[in-house]
Amino acid sequence: MMKSKAGWTHRSLMLLLMIYLLIPLIGTFMYGFAKQWQTTVLPESWTLEWVLEMFKDLRFLDALWTSFYLCAVSVALSLAVMLPAVFVITVYLPKWETFMKGVVVLPYAVPGVVAAVGLIRTYSSGPIDITGTAYILVGAYFVVILPYMYQGIRNSLLTVSAPELLNSAEMLGASRMRAFATVILPNIWPGVMISTLLSFSVLFGEFVLTNMLVGGHIQTIQVYLYQRVNESGHLASAIAVTYFLFILVLSTVLMKLGKKFNGEAGR
Amino acid sequence: MNASYLELQGIRKTFGGSIVLDNVDLSIQEGELVTLLGPSGCGKSTLLRCIAGLTEPDGGRILLGRKDIASLPPRNREVGMVFQSYALFPNLTVYGNIEYGLKMRGVDKAERQRRCEELLALVDLEEKRGAYPQQLSGGQQQRVALARSLAVQPKVLLLDEPLSALDAKIRKNLRSEIRDIQKKLNMTTIFVTHDQEEALTLSDRICIMNNGHIVQDGTPETLYSRPRTEFVARFMGSYNVLTHAEAVRLFGDDIGRAESYALRPESVRLLAGFGEHGFSESVGGRIVEGTIDSVSVLGNVIRYSVMANGVRLTIDMLNDGRTFRTETSGAVRLALNPSQLLQLEKEGA
Repeated sequence: MMKSKAGWTHRSLMLLLMIYLLIPLIGTFMYGFAKQWQTTVLPESWTLEWVLEMFKDLRFLDALWTSFYLCAVSVALSLAVMLPAVFVITVYLPKWETFMKGVVVLPYAVPGVVAAVGLIRTYSSGPIDITGTAYILVGAYFVVILPYMYQGIRNSLLTVSAPELLNSAEMLGASRMRAFATVILPNIWPGVMISTLLSFSVLFGEFVLTNMLVGGHIQTIQVYLYQRVNESGHLASAIAVTYFLFILVLSTVLMKLGKKFNGEAGR
Repeated sequence: MNASYLELQGIRKTFGGSIVLDNVDLSIQEGELVTLLGPSGCGKSTLLRCIAGLTEPDGGRILLGRKDIASLPPRNREVGMVFQSYALFPNLTVYGNIEYGLKMRGVDKAERQRRCEELLALVDLEEKRGAYPQQLSGGQQQRVALARSLAVQPKVLLLDEPLSALDAKIRKNLRSEIRDIQKKLNMTTIFVTHDQEEALTLSDRICIMNNGHIVQDGTPETLYSRPRTEFVARFMGSYNVLTHAEAVRLFGDDIGRAESYALRPESVRLLAGFGEHGFSESVGGRIVEGTIDSVSVLGNVIRYSVMANGVRLTIDMLNDGRTFRTETSGAVRLALNPSQLLQLEKEGA
């Protein structure tokens, strides 16, 4: 009896949470396909007009592509730098972890606007004059996703007891590089993939830094959405839904690839 | 005496200013199973890691077959190691784990297959070849770890508390399996443990470590029956360690001049009431009166805590059904044999 009651409480809470999370999404989705929706609970009529208009606008596709490659480059750069760095710190220099933990929380401590102003002032003159370019954005994005990448990779390494696996592989005749490639990487890969996807999603939805740093020069999907939201709510909803679906498909593909990679490494 | 196969000379190691290994010397013969026994933090695992090359000693030489391997990386030392946590590769199957070392050493596929099959048979895991480590029990994982280390045919096998994560029954079975395999392959082996029973059962020789030193080494029989210091006496079992004054109260003045003495719990006999036979004072035995404080049954042994002449003694008697029992607080007589009283040296002497 008690078990059944606890089950219902749990299910009710889950249902409430799902409603809370899904209603805005469903509302946005319906608004993107609604022709008339003003005084009724559900739309009076449906249309594909907004979606078609969105896809006809070359700026949308440009913005989507720009967001994609800027996020991809930033995440790839972060992965290339952070994976070996976190590995070395966790396995060989654990004393540095305290320092690293301090550094990675800095993006939380500094508000986006303050960070943007600071970056513009630093990089608008002098030897590194990159304000308004993709370089400053990639640099800023790198910092934004630092906590996700650091924690994700570190937790994966600790979960698989990387130092012991590495010792074991070395004792069996593997060099450090080979031990990393054949034993550590396949085992931390699922965790690394999740960090990568999380970072990618965070960057894809990033607006404040992007708009302040390169808003007039480079149009990402968020900047484009911000500009079009004033023209038509229906169009903005269609853009938001498309962008959501894009992230969903991308995440699914990357997760599948990750699983496949891990499965093959296991054979 | 044969020349040593593995020889450690003056191994030193400090961590953050504290001495973990203090000029440790150790010689091991080919095919010998030596156990490093000691409490946590005594340096036994560090010594093992120094031999494996996973920890760099501050000084000293490690000679394996007359070749100094101290400066070689772990992969070139020809030393195999089984870790406490097994450290099996979760992404590889049982077969893949055993094959890994052979692959890393460039052994061709046919030979790899032959050796893997041999080892799977040796550890009796042929049917689990396709299973992943997380699908195996603790005992099976341990056997895979052992087979994986043996696959590369090391000259020395190091076992770092390999049975500590297993329950008592599996531990006992695996203990004898390890010993059988070690004897079958004539593998020179160093086994680290803090469990004296494990050490006594497995070893050709035991080295007892404390504070970075080997304080006594010898065969299990010697170490158990002739502990040199109070630390060894306490560590090797439930020895009664007595001060000189306490020993005099039980055995009289004629016991030498040591500061402390050890008395094995099974060397004292408990006699029920007065007039009990079976102990002869003519062989130099002494009888003292005492009171039982507590009784606990440890399976095949009954352990008594007895107060006699102001000295608390632990006494073990075989639980054979014939042993007389008594209630707590019962009056008893103790039969003491002075020849069983061991004089202990000062620590570090």
